[in-house]
Amino acid sequence: MRSMIQAIDLTKKFGDFAANDHINIDVKEKEIKCIVGENGAGKSTMMNMLYGLLQPTSGKILIRGKEVVLNSPIDAIQNGIGMVHQHFKLVPSLTVYENILLGEEINLKKGKFRTPFIDTKKELSCIEKLISDNRFELNPMDKIEDLSVGGRQRVEILKMLYRNVDILILDEPTAVLTPQEVDQLMATLKGLKEQGKTIIVITHKLREVMEIADSVTVIKQGKVVGNVKKKDTSEEELAQMMVGRDVVLSVDSKRKNKIEDEIIYEVKELSTRNDCGKEVVSNISFQVHKGEILGIAGVEGNGQSELVKMITGLMESTSGTNTFCGVNVTNWWPDKLREIGMGMIPEDRYAQGLCKDMSITENCISGYHGKEDVCRHGILQKSKIVEKRDTFIKEFDIRIGNIEGNISCLSGGNAQKVIIARELAAKPKLLIACQPTRGVDIGSIEFIHHQILKFRDEGNSVILVSSELSEIMSLSDRVVVMCKGQITGEISPKETTTASMGLLMAGIHKKED
Amino acid sequence: MNKKENVIKTMLNSVLPIVLAFFIGGLIILGIGENPLATYGLLIRKSLFTAKGFLNTLHYAAPLILTGLAIAITFKANIYNMGVEGQMMFGGFFAGIVGAYLPNMNSIVQKMICFIVAMGCGMLFAFIPALLKAKCNVNEMVVTLMLNYAMVKALEFLTTGVFRDKEAGYVATPTIKDGAMFQRFGTSRITMFFVIVVFVLIIMAIIMNKSKLGYEVKTIGKNAEFAEATGMNVGKKIVLIMLISGALSGMAGAGWMMSDQFKFTLSFSGNPGLGWDGMLIALLGGHSPIGILVAAIFYAALKTGSDSINLYTTVPKEIVSIIQGMIILFLAVKFIGEHTNWFERRKKKEEESWS
Repeated sequence: MRSMIQAIDLTKKFGDFAANDHINIDVKEKEIKCIVGENGAGKSTMMNMLYGLLQPTSGKILIRGKEVVLNSPIDAIQNGIGMVHQHFKLVPSLTVYENILLGEEINLKKGKFRTPFIDTKKELSCIEKLISDNRFELNPMDKIEDLSVGGRQRVEILKMLYRNVDILILDEPTAVLTPQEVDQLMATLKGLKEQGKTIIVITHKLREVMEIADSVTVIKQGKVVGNVKKKDTSEEELAQMMVGRDVVLSVDSKRKNKIEDEIIYEVKELSTRNDCGKEVVSNISFQVHKGEILGIAGVEGNGQSELVKMITGLMESTSGTNTFCGVNVTNWWPDKLREIGMGMIPEDRYAQGLCKDMSITENCISGYHGKEDVCRHGILQKSKIVEKRDTFIKEFDIRIGNIEGNISCLSGGNAQKVIIARELAAKPKLLIACQPTRGVDIGSIEFIHHQILKFRDEGNSVILVSSELSEIMSLSDRVVVMCKGQITGEISPKETTTASMGLLMAGIHKKED
Repeated sequence: MNKKENVIKTMLNSVLPIVLAFFIGGLIILGIGENPLATYGLLIRKSLFTAKGFLNTLHYAAPLILTGLAIAITFKANIYNMGVEGQMMFGGFFAGIVGAYLPNMNSIVQKMICFIVAMGCGMLFAFIPALLKAKCNVNEMVVTLMLNYAMVKALEFLTTGVFRDKEAGYVATPTIKDGAMFQRFGTSRITMFFVIVVFVLIIMAIIMNKSKLGYEVKTIGKNAEFAEATGMNVGKKIVLIMLISGALSGMAGAGWMMSDQFKFTLSFSGNPGLGWDGMLIALLGGHSPIGILVAAIFYAALKTGSDSINLYTTVPKEIVSIIQGMIILFLAVKFIGEHTNWFERRKKKEEESWS
């Protein structure tokens, strides 16, 4: 089989950060290639380079063995590459056929003369033929706004097929689909493959990979970490490849005191829906005891983010209850949760944890700016705040170039330390740490782990959510694994292998249960 | 970025449009056949460097400071109250009605009542868009902007009909009672109202720069998602900020009524209107209270100075309107952005496209 697309040492740097680091990939003719990896692994960056949206810093792209330079999507389409984006680019008020032909309208001809009017009849028959040739379920006269998400996606695919592409790239095609629509998409893709198209699918849903892929490439932190044929691999192996990180953890997690029986935090039958109305967390229940670190593991995008948002008051649950120290705190505001003794390290540091455009000093009090030690009668006590900031800097070894500068001057690790210092200074009883070491240098990782363990040793509880398996395994006393918004298992990290973790993360329950 | 550098940049951004506007105004004066430098000299001397002129300038600056503050506090929170003009008119109108119809009493109490009524009116009128924004996420800029016209028409109806002073030869509400009028200090136009405004300015400066509320306003303006994550009920805060803005606008209207106009006419707010001028002043002053004070005085100086130009030269006083228009035009252009450096800007762009 000959190669359709080859990327050789493809590298894309944003400043000093290499989003793609010498990526080599080889897509054969008439195969379905799945590219898997976690959020931020660099999948989309690579695809955007193949589609001409980004230009590589170095490296080559070969299409059908010939080197090409893709400066825009137009170049890519001319080379036979089409892309279906995660967020559709369609005009809702126009019909299916109008959307497909947008930019390629067929003009009405009078003899040899091309009029500026559109030949609606010819357009319609043309699209009807295209739809029936591909055996799609679509009515060309329907308006996009009346179509389901799956239908819209089929229109996007047709748009590309009309432009005669033979390589289709789909970016997270199933993220917004219902299970039935996913099945339909799978069938469509298989049909296209039979017609001789080459298909690249970006995803992190392993079940789908196993269903449609011929070969799989795993990307992690901008590098290719695995190239396997589907028949030679399994979901567990892929899950391990995606999340496993080889950081040597030098922190001694041995505990001095015992976990007490007292329940600090309890979640009961919690469910919620996302903006599209899809249930992303369903019926989750767990308990956290005093002095315990509870890890929540799973491949990213399986409901952990939403779960944390509900626990920290950033998202409303549709059903279920949260109880903290016997108080029902379901759907409370974050400030009240902080008041009652919960600390939060949010997932997205610069969206929810810190305000980039504000100074370090101001960020040191956010969330606690109404507390008595810094605020009297509604007036902020500047000297007290500065004092607080200086203690944070000293105790948490935060390295700062310009002390009056904005938080955006700090490196990821130091910015994260500001959050942790701020949250721990309020002496909470429960800390919710979500991806506490993402994008943080190794030195800071160790420091942050140490702080979390120290916090636990003081008799407090922690809910640790992380997609770093090694972090979860070494810090937690108990781990629950999430898949597709549900808890697929609970394990003790000391007695479990990463292989059986992989099974749970892929949503496969232990057989003996 | 360095704080000092930021301050300089903000100041340059305010001063450059003024310089450019005066330059173009100067060309026009040259075209008329007058000496632009002499004309500008006269304008500045008469409005800032004579005691009476300066006090008159302060008098005109007073309501502008309030409307400027009303705009600034909402802009800081990244919400846009374009309805300051309408809120100010509403407040001014009812301050005038209360001042005219209420029986004579202690003059301080009378003024207080007028202020309270006006502030209440301003708040009420700001409450509508605030509620729509907070509850239904309706764009407050559109609502506030459109409500201005509704208010102008409603007040026109009330002035020409219900509350018309039958004895006056033109369309106006009755003159307010003496007790509700601010008395002039000496021969200049300045009144106690200016002192009150300075007091309000100081309070607002403390609120905006030092208080918990100011911190929250800033946070909401910079990053609303973060503000929510730290526990601020952003919807409630938006309503509160809009109410403060409305109260300041209403106060401006009341003060203007009681210190200058004494009755509501259809040209009460002048042209382009105290609320619109306030927007310009807030922009010129970089939304900081001190900046607003300086900008309002500068702006009022143009107003007082324009009369002297008319008197002593052949340049028509409309030259000041041209200069004001030019300032607005040039203010819309950010000469010095946050990333003046081309390289920095490119870098940021790339980062954005990547994320």
